[in-house]
Amino acid sequence: MSSYTVRDWVTIGLFGALWGAVEMTLGSYLHVIFPPQANTFLTGVVMGGIGVAVALTGRHFVPNRGSVFFIGVVTALVKLLSPGGARLGPFVAILVESALMEAILWLARAPRRWAFVVGGALAVGWNLPHKFVMMRVLYGGDVVQVYTKMLQEGSRMLGLDPSAALLILAVLLTIRLAVGGVAGWGAWGLGGAVARRLGRREPAPGEVVR
Amino acid sequence: MVVLLDGWWLAALLLLEMAFGLVWNREGLRLLRRPRFWTFLLTAVALGPFLIGRPDVVVGPFHLSREGLAVGLEMAGRAFGLTLAFSLGLGSLSLSDVVALFDRLGLRGLGFATALAVNLLGALREMAAVTWQTIRLRGGMRRPGLALRLFLITTIANTLHYGDAVVSAATVRAFDPNGGRAASLPLRRADLWLAALLIGCGGVLLALAG
Repeated sequence: MSSYTVRDWVTIGLFGALWGAVEMTLGSYLHVIFPPQANTFLTGVVMGGIGVAVALTGRHFVPNRGSVFFIGVVTALVKLLSPGGARLGPFVAILVESALMEAILWLARAPRRWAFVVGGALAVGWNLPHKFVMMRVLYGGDVVQVYTKMLQEGSRMLGLDPSAALLILAVLLTIRLAVGGVAGWGAWGLGGAVARRLGRREPAPGEVVR
Repeated sequence: MVVLLDGWWLAALLLLEMAFGLVWNREGLRLLRRPRFWTFLLTAVALGPFLIGRPDVVVGPFHLSREGLAVGLEMAGRAFGLTLAFSLGLGSLSLSDVVALFDRLGLRGLGFATALAVNLLGALREMAAVTWQTIRLRGGMRRPGLALRLFLITTIANTLHYGDAVVSAATVRAFDPNGGRAASLPLRRADLWLAALLIGCGGVLLALAG
């Protein structure tokens, strides 16, 4: 932590606030206008994509290890402390998304476009298993039985093979990975564009900017 | 504890949680006034009799399973317990507590970033709204792609400019994210009650396991 200066923490706070502002304005708006079922197909993907873009853009200005994770921690706490924001699901989702992005950036060592793309894809991709993991945590092991039975009944009613469910899940996951990848790609370009606009050169990894 | 218990023990724990909320933290019980929360819980109760166990009761056109109803109730109880515990825990959480906690953990900078994010949230939202309106009034919406790019670049650049002022203010006040004395965490009467309750419940669980 000693490599983090006041400017780094301020920048982390600002990008955390930006992500939090998006979650609380656009997120609340989308949750109100779309039913909860749309979360699987739309709200989660849109919010995940924007969040990933904001956090990874922040990495441009704080190129220290752990900065994306800290942006996620700040965002999760901002959301938690906001009125009506004390919900377990989004809190866990934001933390896991930022941890996944950070893990890929850590593996890449230096900031690279491919790391932004892969990190973004994995972070938004988490959206899909997140729902199942949270249901398993909240409802317990019996929810697996409910899901299996619903899948069997649903397939029978629609006249589909149960394996089609796997195909649907694969399509949903692919859409998320693509959205996350595009968000990561966009964040790389956006960070560079903002740095040029501000007349800043992009700091080298590990460089302390005062 | 919610995860480990079932049946009447779970019901007893839920009552205990409710009593704790009524005595110490009514704010945390606000969750119970949300129709969305009850929809979420009642879905589990409603699905259980249809999807789990062999149907042994006929109610009108429906063939229901008593075993499924019991499992559904237990799933809903578990979700209720976990969500309520999270809500009660957070109901008494304040920004100053979070900052003090990070300070104690040696993450003073993260506490500073969180406080900064929460306090600047309104300003950043207003800044983003002004940027959007400016672009719109200047006819930017005729080219939506360019307008979005300009909006993102301007918002992030303005945010970073704002950060410069915060860095100067923090530096003038000699804020050091890596130094200083850790702030003490206030221990309130409710914390002592909670600690005693947890120790008691832990003892009961150990006795049950033995």
